[in-house]
Amino acid sequence: MKKWTMLIVLLLSVAAVMGACSSKNAEDVEGGKNSDVKQELTLNIKTEPPSLDPGLATDTTSAWVLDHVFEGLYTTDEDGNPVKGVAENVEISEDGTVYTFTIRDDSNWTDGTPVTAADFEYAWKRVLNPETGSRFAFYLYYIKGAEEYNMGEGTVEDVGVEAIDEKKLKVTLNAPLGYFDKLLTMWTYYPVKQEQVEGNKNWSTDPATYVSNGPFKMTKWAHDSEIVMEKNNDYYDASVVKLNKVTFKMVNEATTFYQMYKTGELDLISSLPMDVLEAEQNNEEYLAVPRYGTYMYIFNVKKEPFTNEKVRKAFSLSVNRELVVNTINKAGEIPAYGMVPPGVSTPDGDFREVGGEYFKEDAEEAKRLLEEGMKEEGWDKLPEIELLYTTSEGNKRIAEVVQEMIHKNLGVQVKLVNQESKTQLANVNQGNFQMARMGWVGTFVDPVINLDYFLGGSPNNRTGWVNEEYDSLLSQSKVEQDDAKRYDLLHKAEKVLMDDMPFIPMYYYSSTYLTSPKLENVAYYVNRQPFLKWAEKVD
Amino acid sequence: MYILKRLGAMLLTIWIIATLTFMVMKFIPGDPFATDADVYPEDVLQNLRAAYNLDKPVPVQYFLYMKDLITLNLGTSIVSDTRTVNSIIGSGFVASATVGLLAMVVAIVFGVLLGIVAALNHNKAIDYVSMVIAIIGISIPNFILAPLLIKIFAVDLSLLPVASWGSWKHAILPALALSTTPLAIVARYTRSSMLDVLNQNYMKTADAKGLSTYRIVLQHGIRNAILPVITFIGPLFVSLITGTFVIEKIFAIPGIGRYFVDSIFNRDYPVIMGTTVFYSVILVVILFLIDLSYRFIDPRIKLTSKEG
Repeated sequence: MKKWTMLIVLLLSVAAVMGACSSKNAEDVEGGKNSDVKQELTLNIKTEPPSLDPGLATDTTSAWVLDHVFEGLYTTDEDGNPVKGVAENVEISEDGTVYTFTIRDDSNWTDGTPVTAADFEYAWKRVLNPETGSRFAFYLYYIKGAEEYNMGEGTVEDVGVEAIDEKKLKVTLNAPLGYFDKLLTMWTYYPVKQEQVEGNKNWSTDPATYVSNGPFKMTKWAHDSEIVMEKNNDYYDASVVKLNKVTFKMVNEATTFYQMYKTGELDLISSLPMDVLEAEQNNEEYLAVPRYGTYMYIFNVKKEPFTNEKVRKAFSLSVNRELVVNTINKAGEIPAYGMVPPGVSTPDGDFREVGGEYFKEDAEEAKRLLEEGMKEEGWDKLPEIELLYTTSEGNKRIAEVVQEMIHKNLGVQVKLVNQESKTQLANVNQGNFQMARMGWVGTFVDPVINLDYFLGGSPNNRTGWVNEEYDSLLSQSKVEQDDAKRYDLLHKAEKVLMDDMPFIPMYYYSSTYLTSPKLENVAYYVNRQPFLKWAEKVD
Repeated sequence: MYILKRLGAMLLTIWIIATLTFMVMKFIPGDPFATDADVYPEDVLQNLRAAYNLDKPVPVQYFLYMKDLITLNLGTSIVSDTRTVNSIIGSGFVASATVGLLAMVVAIVFGVLLGIVAALNHNKAIDYVSMVIAIIGISIPNFILAPLLIKIFAVDLSLLPVASWGSWKHAILPALALSTTPLAIVARYTRSSMLDVLNQNYMKTADAKGLSTYRIVLQHGIRNAILPVITFIGPLFVSLITGTFVIEKIFAIPGIGRYFVDSIFNRDYPVIMGTTVFYSVILVVILFLIDLSYRFIDPRIKLTSKEG
């Protein structure tokens, strides 16, 4: 009978599914037969890069692709230090304000034409053109006339960038700048090719019109799915580039990309899911790299009780950072007792090591400071305190532990409030908070970018804390040509900051990776994504 | 006449949805350009707001948006400032619809089959087994089922890729994960509707005429039993083909499902509006088609404009 046939089919299919559930696994499929290793690599960029136009990009996802397909006057070596890239030679004037760059003769665009000084002039002026709408234009404000032009007050002719001839680029700065070479490695300073860019708003979304000058060239962009780049044989340093093809998959779900790594669909993943961190820590493929940023709680120094410096310190001293890092995060973060993360090499050693730790956790001392602070202000008890953080599982776990530690060590009950990120940010920007979670990652590796966060006039500084000495030390550091003196000024500035402590530094971030043992020579940086210029697949 | 009136009502519906969304969207606190990374200088922000008309009063913004909407220009995304909303929806819809249609086919074919088999074996073991399967299908959320499917078919059996997009293989697991709940619901609807039909006199007549069970069920049974199911699959169809946040996220499908959610978190106003308007257009069109299809399935139903 027909219905019995149907039924049997149905039961069989159900049985098949059930069977699949119980059978452990089929024999593993062995892949490696050939000794020739395909120089092809697949990794995970997680999300669609918002913009692959170097003049418009503002985020590290976009920068990951941009750093591979473009190259600026300076680039980074294996250790992340700035080295000359497209620039072959640099002359700096006596007063440190005029730079003359000579562009390499063998630097080419992916369409085979040479990269010229005019390409840089065009690119930078385009970023500064108010009509371009570049959000990162202010990273070029060090250049003379740049800010005025970008604000619509000056003219393009007055911008201090000029191609003297085909290969010579003259750049005039407002003042000497000790870290201009680091700044030049940033994507906002990359060149673009005028013929491709001008008049074509979509040039950067279509591989056909996407002309670049880096070690790789983009050959495919399937939105929200993958970006493919291939070796650029016109690149001047092409001989060191081993990989022929790199595919960036966009898989945002941590469990999914972790599984893809485990099945070999991905060769490199970052930001491992929290629940596997412990299990993977002893895996040889696991790597935790310090990341150039600080996780912190900022105070609103205009709202009680954090108007008082001793109360602020008491809160900071009562938190056990080791505990947070080792038992909650477990991803290799470093407890923070200052603002500038490790990773800045200075003539005297790492900036952080030279600066040392500015305070020690001490529950007794914290309690004493709190009492003193309250006495100074004439308070018998503290007002109700709220800690505002952005909704996320990780933030929540840390906030709860911090709440408990403050309660235990100071006897103060902190109320936790979480908000979705843009709402939280709106409240913090308007000063509607007492304590708020924030994070700050340096766009380039120099203490100045971290310390600028607390500048009196900085839009990033939501604490309300303004200190003239601090601001003055930072502005002195910016024009100081001598590196040793410059870092000294920055150490002094950080000390001023930590003496007043308008924030609780919690820890310096880290990045976690799993890298296939078949992949070698990947450069892991503290403030950029892994760089594949020298990477190689091995057997 | 009916169709004209209906089209008018459709446009009105879309306009109301768009207007309400616009208003609600403007009430959410938060600035699309606010970031806890690099904060842009105030002048830069002003340039940016001007570029998206955000410097103008809200009624003017609304008017400008509606003007663009009439010409089907949905604007440029604020987050991906090199992409238009039209292109985001255009490319995302293909992937979402592919998975959605596949899931739909699986859900209907197996759902109807399961429902009919259960109805024909009313109160027998097969009926119970089918309905237990249906209840499991409804109650297991797909964010549990999806990783389970990945674990079995991709990690353990290595039959299919874990996730991502590109070949037909990539569509199987997401379609399967997406289909279970609707499959179970379709099965339950079909079963109860079929049970109803089986008791009707015309079924007895057909049986008395000596027709085979096969023909009775196929010709007289399903055709009558399917109506309530169709009512249900209209909105289901729309929600499946316009993508689902969870499934697309877990399987890394380049669909538009994520934009419905992410755009709100990012305060990406043009994308919020674009996805909402797009969804409502699809919804009213499909509902309209469903109403039309009744007529063909059951000629007794008259399409009149009085039904409200």
